[in-house]
Amino acid sequence: MKLAYYPGCVAKESGRELDLSTRWVCQALGIELAEFPKFSCCGSGFIDEANELLSIAINARNLAIAEAAGLDLMTVCSTCQGMLSLAKLRMEDPAVRAKVDATLKPLGINYRGTSKVTHLLRVLVEDVGLEAIRAKVKRPLAGLKVGAFYGCHLLRPADEMDWESPEEPHAFENLLSALGAEPVLYRGRVMCCGFPIQFVKAETAGRIAGRQILDAKDHGADAMATPCPLCHISLDAYQRPAAKLVGRPLDMPVFHLPQLVALAFGASPKDLGFSRHMVSPEAALAKLAPSAR
Amino acid sequence: MLRHEVVVVGAGLAGQRAALAAVEAGRDVAIVTKLHPLRSHSGAAQGGINAAIGANDSVDAHIFDTVKGSDYLGDQDAIEFFCREAGPTVLEMEHFGTIFTRTEDGSLAQRPFGGAGFPRTVYAADRTGLALLQGLWERLGSERFTLYEEWELARIVVRGGRAQGIIAFDRKTGAIQGMAAKAIVIATGGAGRIYGRTTNAHSCTGDGMAVAYQAGAFLKDMEFVQFHPTALLEGGILVTEGARGEGGILKNASGERFMSRYAPKVLELASRDVVARAITTEILEGRGFQGPYGPFVHLELMHLGREKIESRLQEISDLCRSFAGLDPATDPIPIAPAQHYMMGGIGTNIQGETNVPGLYSAGEAACVSIHGANRLGGNSLMETLVFGKSAGTAAAAYAAGAAEATLEPGDLDAVATTLRGWSERKDGEDPSALRAELQQTMDRYVNIFRNAADLAEGLRRVRALKDRFCRVRVVDPSRVFNLNLSDAIETGHMIDLAEVILVGALARTESRGAHFRKDYPKRDDAQWMKHTLARSTPGGPELSYSPVGFTRWEPKERVY
Amino acid sequence: MSADTIPVTFDVYRFQPGKDATPRFQRYTLDLTPHTPVLTGLLRIRDEIDPSLGLRYSCRSAICGSCAMQVNSKSRLACETQVGPEVELHGRIVVEPMLNQPVVRDLVVDQSPFWREYQKIEPHLKVDPRRPMPVGKVTPMTPAQVDRFQGTPRCIACAACYSACPAVGSDPAFPGPMALAKLYRFAVDPRDAARQDRLVRIQTEGLWLCLRCHLCTEACPKDVRPSERIRDLKEMAIAVQGATEHGSKHAVGFKRNIREGGTLNEMKLVRQTYGIFGMLPQLPYGLKIWRKKPEVARRPPPIEGREELEGIYRELDREGER
Repeated sequence: MKLAYYPGCVAKESGRELDLSTRWVCQALGIELAEFPKFSCCGSGFIDEANELLSIAINARNLAIAEAAGLDLMTVCSTCQGMLSLAKLRMEDPAVRAKVDATLKPLGINYRGTSKVTHLLRVLVEDVGLEAIRAKVKRPLAGLKVGAFYGCHLLRPADEMDWESPEEPHAFENLLSALGAEPVLYRGRVMCCGFPIQFVKAETAGRIAGRQILDAKDHGADAMATPCPLCHISLDAYQRPAAKLVGRPLDMPVFHLPQLVALAFGASPKDLGFSRHMVSPEAALAKLAPSAR
Repeated sequence: MLRHEVVVVGAGLAGQRAALAAVEAGRDVAIVTKLHPLRSHSGAAQGGINAAIGANDSVDAHIFDTVKGSDYLGDQDAIEFFCREAGPTVLEMEHFGTIFTRTEDGSLAQRPFGGAGFPRTVYAADRTGLALLQGLWERLGSERFTLYEEWELARIVVRGGRAQGIIAFDRKTGAIQGMAAKAIVIATGGAGRIYGRTTNAHSCTGDGMAVAYQAGAFLKDMEFVQFHPTALLEGGILVTEGARGEGGILKNASGERFMSRYAPKVLELASRDVVARAITTEILEGRGFQGPYGPFVHLELMHLGREKIESRLQEISDLCRSFAGLDPATDPIPIAPAQHYMMGGIGTNIQGETNVPGLYSAGEAACVSIHGANRLGGNSLMETLVFGKSAGTAAAAYAAGAAEATLEPGDLDAVATTLRGWSERKDGEDPSALRAELQQTMDRYVNIFRNAADLAEGLRRVRALKDRFCRVRVVDPSRVFNLNLSDAIETGHMIDLAEVILVGALARTESRGAHFRKDYPKRDDAQWMKHTLARSTPGGPELSYSPVGFTRWEPKERVY
Repeated sequence: MSADTIPVTFDVYRFQPGKDATPRFQRYTLDLTPHTPVLTGLLRIRDEIDPSLGLRYSCRSAICGSCAMQVNSKSRLACETQVGPEVELHGRIVVEPMLNQPVVRDLVVDQSPFWREYQKIEPHLKVDPRRPMPVGKVTPMTPAQVDRFQGTPRCIACAACYSACPAVGSDPAFPGPMALAKLYRFAVDPRDAARQDRLVRIQTEGLWLCLRCHLCTEACPKDVRPSERIRDLKEMAIAVQGATEHGSKHAVGFKRNIREGGTLNEMKLVRQTYGIFGMLPQLPYGLKIWRKKPEVARRPPPIEGREELEGIYRELDREGER
């Protein structure tokens, strides 16, 4: 399998532990990741707030880049997934298509809408398959209770994202089970992490993040895992202020999705960038069954 | 003791329009409502609101269609006033901010409707009631008045020959309050829930009609109950006449478009009573479909195409999906008639005045009469606004000149004692059970096709229920949001109204409009060109009759 | 539809403030056909088993908005939710009152906060007295102008969106999706003369607290899609007033930020949002993050094909045009 790899801005820079672990997992599974230095930011929903057409157009350009190579595009961020999928959907509207084409064609960009937009989570669960994943597990994550946190834009609006049930998704939990971990169900797993307003009103963002972490904690999670580096920033990097805002200690390690997969596949923890997390995953790793450590 | 100059009971379109008129006249106005105004049943109206504003239409044509639609029982002076006000009324609603469906040139779109010789039904997709309710509530929102939300009407106090106020029950706290008022406008809607199979909301229990009747107001023409031809088979949810207006057709189990036999000229767009009887006849004569939820016929919209359905009939498309599990663009819709509207109600004149000074009424709760024996679709939404304004204006004028109103402590005590008695009873009748029996009785004995034997049996049963209601028992002791108590209050009202309907239906030995008697199948103008009036007495409803108002149209045989 | 029934277990939230110390769940079981609405089940519980259950309901046809509640943790209309699919997914029907509104009794909530937010946006047409509506004629409005309202006229004020919204639950300064969708409805109404004022005002009255999480759009039973209308409001507000709040500064800053190098310069974005002095309070904690992730302060290398991006911006970026 060969995919156009769309890491998004954070995975390339401050969230590079996500990029690291993604490459590790894809190499282990024989998924070839084609790189495109032309990819721009997806706008993260913020450009969409300022100028919807601009957001669609820059993402149509991103999609056209993958199309030109004849490849489907893989994201590792729920928000990138949401933005690129949304752009693809909006481009099906003839009026929007006409306006965007009028901008792109003079620049030599020919959008055709032929590349699919997928996320690493979907690739693992749907394309690789849980059987194949199970077969690759060398270090089952037995003893680790993990609360998946999907990230809004992977799921909603459901009729636009056209994937799992927005209230009762199970793909991530099924993957966690295949890795040997025990998935923890809690309401917050499909809720918002607060990231979009982290730089609008930090206290509110923190309260929201804190609430979801508490929910996972109160349902017994030793750790959380997310397919979105922006959620990771909110839940991990800003966990300390969140704990103050909800008035309870949180101490919840937050993994990137591919870090857990790599760990289960036998990667050494020191190769997965855990030292870059604000909340050390040591306590979670200590929960792994002795045979696994 | 609370005090206001004008109290409007009911916050749907008629109540809100009356309140607006009274506020604009400078009065201190209160609205008392058992639901938040935006939850009123006005919002469930789908198809549209009639006004003769089209270039090739005329007010006279609207008047004639309404007169004919009423089977000549409508008062023509009232109908003339109504139709003349319709154009300015729809204009006013647009200026208030209502969002209507438009034509390419920017004017109001109008669709054909039953019994209308011209497409004059102004609409907002198929949620016209909701659009008007929002527009009016938003307009009213910038005015000053007092809203008593989730209050139930228990009594209207009449003393010294005039209305003095109301006693009402606050559902949120259980408190019983007296409200002195110089003028009262009853705009509480219809009473469809006396039937089991009805398009009406659960809240349509006729409280205002019943309480006004108990206070001495006449109820007029109560035997004329409209059955809407097309309600979803299971549950009776309304499928708008607008669906037929957009081209929907009816078919029996043989695939025959049977309306050609009943209304050769206009087929599905005949007046509602004609279509309802046609469907029922097809079913009774064995040409209907059979199923576990009862017999039905098909309403077909498939030939309209998905685009037209999704744009003009989006609400009913959703209803079919959510409540009948089907897609009207590909599937025929199983429908059967259901109770829908009360032509009858509190008797008023064109100004909304009842026979009790200081007491007014408008909307479905009232009977002017503009609908006579059968209402045209699209006229009810217009009725709420035209007569809501009339009644509110007249009530405000009366209040401006009237002496202070007073309530006495005994007024409150009487109600409190009654309600307390229901709660203190050690055993007695369950209000939901009484209500269910009432609904079964009305469905079985007072339906589209009537006869003396059925009506007599129905009346006997309703009277038995009335006796049993004397021992009604409320088991929920709570003061807060006690629906058990609300059920009891409403059931009592509904039993009273059912009795009035039955007495009137038994007495009227003819068929006219929606009142069809198999034993008297012909219209009898010589004997029955008159309105039924019912007055409450200790022995039950006492009937009298009043003449129909004629202006220009001679009664003719009614064919579509 | 078949008339075969299945046993359905309802676990219903019961609470009477002043009488009950804490809320409890009461279990009822009924035999119902799978397509029976939850509301019908609750009303049968009231009629046949327990008349003391409190809930709001009226039309049973998804137009009055009375019966919004949480069914298996999702805010929606009980009359439109069928028991069959819920039993299949969850094994039972858990019924609770809506969130973000105080409980009056059982499933009945006090909707005053919801109505207050609605009133705050001044939901009525404001006509310019110098340009009154045409006398004796309707205001002309084309079908295209009516389309601009999108789904907002379908709103039945059920408050399912308000109940589902995490921002409402976390910050009283956020007006909630319904009020904002209503604001949109007035902002695009050609008859309303206050568009500019409305957009300017809402920028300081909570518009930018919307998380665009789309939980409201999922919850809405009438396809109003409030989160998408809120997005429209944000773009309209920036177009009218420019970037005056943290939220709008962040969005506009992000847009400009990407134009420069194609990918995000994180440190610069913080400065664009808060200004140099505004950034200072964030510095202490920012330094802690920087120690773990030094890239937050790094300017990323520009993308290839940056001229293409510049070409797109030149064509579509309307900044500076009011």
